[in-house]
Amino acid sequence: MNSEAIKVQNLDKSFKDIHAVNDISFEIHQGEIFSLLGPNGAGKTTTIGMISGLLTPDQGQVWVMGNSVLENPRQAKAQIGVVPQEIALYTDISARANLNFWGKMYGLRGQTLVERVDSVLSLIGLEDRKDQVVSKFSGGMQRRLNVGIALLHQPQVIIMDEPTVGIDPQSRRKILDSVKQLRDQGVTILYTTHYMEEAQELSDRIAIMDYGKIIALGSHEELIDIVGELDRITLTIKGETQSVLSAWEEIDGVEKVTPEDGRIYLFVKDSNDSLPAIFDTAGQKNIRITTVDIQEPNLEAVFLHLTGRALRD
Amino acid sequence: MKIITIALKDLWRAFRSFFALAFMFGVPILMTAMFAFLFGGIGGEDSEFNLPSTEVFVVNHDEGSSLVANFEAQGNTFAKMSDMLLDTLQQDSFQDLLTLTKTSEREARSAVEAQEADMAMIIPENYTNALIGQSQGPSQIEFYQNAESDIGTEIVQSVVMSLVDSFSSGVIIQDSVTSIMENHNINLSQAEQISLISGFSSELESNQTETQNNVNVIQPAESPVENDQGDPLQTILRSIMAGMMIFYAFFTGTSAAQTILQEQENGTLARLFISPTSTATILNGKFLAGFLMIIVQVATLLIFANLVFGIQWGPIVPLVFAAISLVALATSFGIFVMSLVKGTKQAGIIYGGVLTFTGMLGISSVFVMGTPIEEAFNYLPLFVPQGWAMNAFKASWQGNWQRVLIHASGMILLAVIFFAIGNARFKKRFS
Repeated sequence: MNSEAIKVQNLDKSFKDIHAVNDISFEIHQGEIFSLLGPNGAGKTTTIGMISGLLTPDQGQVWVMGNSVLENPRQAKAQIGVVPQEIALYTDISARANLNFWGKMYGLRGQTLVERVDSVLSLIGLEDRKDQVVSKFSGGMQRRLNVGIALLHQPQVIIMDEPTVGIDPQSRRKILDSVKQLRDQGVTILYTTHYMEEAQELSDRIAIMDYGKIIALGSHEELIDIVGELDRITLTIKGETQSVLSAWEEIDGVEKVTPEDGRIYLFVKDSNDSLPAIFDTAGQKNIRITTVDIQEPNLEAVFLHLTGRALRD
Repeated sequence: MKIITIALKDLWRAFRSFFALAFMFGVPILMTAMFAFLFGGIGGEDSEFNLPSTEVFVVNHDEGSSLVANFEAQGNTFAKMSDMLLDTLQQDSFQDLLTLTKTSEREARSAVEAQEADMAMIIPENYTNALIGQSQGPSQIEFYQNAESDIGTEIVQSVVMSLVDSFSSGVIIQDSVTSIMENHNINLSQAEQISLISGFSSELESNQTETQNNVNVIQPAESPVENDQGDPLQTILRSIMAGMMIFYAFFTGTSAAQTILQEQENGTLARLFISPTSTATILNGKFLAGFLMIIVQVATLLIFANLVFGIQWGPIVPLVFAAISLVALATSFGIFVMSLVKGTKQAGIIYGGVLTFTGMLGISSVFVMGTPIEEAFNYLPLFVPQGWAMNAFKASWQGNWQRVLIHASGMILLAVIFFAIGNARFKKRFS
């Protein structure tokens, strides 16, 4: 267990008739960035809630740095820094007052607290605004402070629950860079997102969640291998759909055709070879193609391949 | 240590909030100041309040007694008991309170109707005879005044009734003494009986004045009970200030407990729960914040009222008992009521409904002072926690230790019950 920063075993949680997390197990190695990727409602936040000790699982166990979250919650929690999905700050006091308070809640005192607060303010780029009331901050600045609080006590494990939702590109980039910086310092990071690009850019390993289950887990390359080297062509069409779908499936090089929400997804070996035949067939069936989008294999394609649905909000 | 950190953070946030400060200190002080201005305004030396003098037209029909030529009190001799009463009302202690003008009944009634006088006091023909037990018919002093009487006329009425009561007690004592003597076969002549009554009445009147003089000379400002006699406005303003303080202390307690719901909604409570801090520590920190907030509020209002309005709160120890019990009860009541609601949106019902209703009922005795229903309002408010607090403070400035202890014990018991229920509900919610 020494190389495992987090170990999750048969975790299960229901809220009334909603089975939010359904018997999931995984391990996160020390020093890696592990992403939980999935659409909203997939069970990511519930999983994080149980790992951080906020929620009690119906079944299963969680260990953080060897400490059972259920049996030794204080020891386990002391190892974790959590960046919640929603901004959780006292907006009527200053950034420094917020950091001072949260530092004390993690046992920091005296000179250590002063140094850690200064260090975090520098890391999140809010040194100049440290004495300003947080309600005057932009959304991005508040997000950065939200992240900063989780770093104060220099935890060995940081859990980030969709930390980049709804912020400007500059703040987003700053957060992503700080995540990489933390990984370089040996910190283990559990990162949840529904932005495929973020998971792709940051993660050493990715678990894809849907309806409370982990449907795939591995490195980026391993997950891409699930769908093979297929390009994805997304079409929007006008006309009767059913007849053309079967015709497209007959075309040489087309591996799979999936209609969803008014769009048609075609997985092909080579989009350059297949596109002329796709257009010809549409013409023969009196179907008008209004938009075309071509993508090389990515995590979204993996999700689509595994669930038949797009990875969207 | 973390409990204190959480409490200090909440205190710091509360004292940065304009609305919190306004409700904690501003509104109670403003309400009391408003009443102070209504009853005569602030403006005297040393910030004391002055009631406008009540203009009393006196009609004296008293014919005296054929059996007693003179009544003596404090070295003065009076032909009638009514003269003794009027002489007392013209003493220095009542100088600022009322002005007496002797006149005819017709003129007195006309003056009241024309609002040239605040009231007319009409003394009946048999007043002296009634007081010495020589008249069987009714003998009542009539107060003739407009329907919209003000506080000044109420006070004058109370003062006169108090003096007449003390004179009447001579008759009661005489009856008792005569009865006892008769039981021992000692019979007094009518003249001796009247002399006895006269002596008792004079002695009572004399003792009453002497008591006032003594207290005024020795410690006029530090004896709350005697101070009431010297300055009736003290009772009114002190009751209003105490009522406002209690009313808004409960708002502060509830507002402090509401921060639990606010933090739940803005995510900081969840963040606290995922820190290495127990649920009990977090909740106790929040409760301590409410307790400290109300201590600051109550202490500030008590001191401010004393310094600015000149309100004397009475002996310090019972006052501290009453104040600490109030702090504990207001804090725990806030925890209790907030544990019943799910979110801050429902808190409006608590403020607008529960707290306003219970608060008004609890301090209702303030608004019925000097009315016939005052007695009932010593007990009715005890159905709500604010009523217990109001009674404790009243007992405190009256120096009634027994009542302070009874009410303080009741308040602490209620506080323990409210805290236990509220705490259990919150712990269950966040378990």
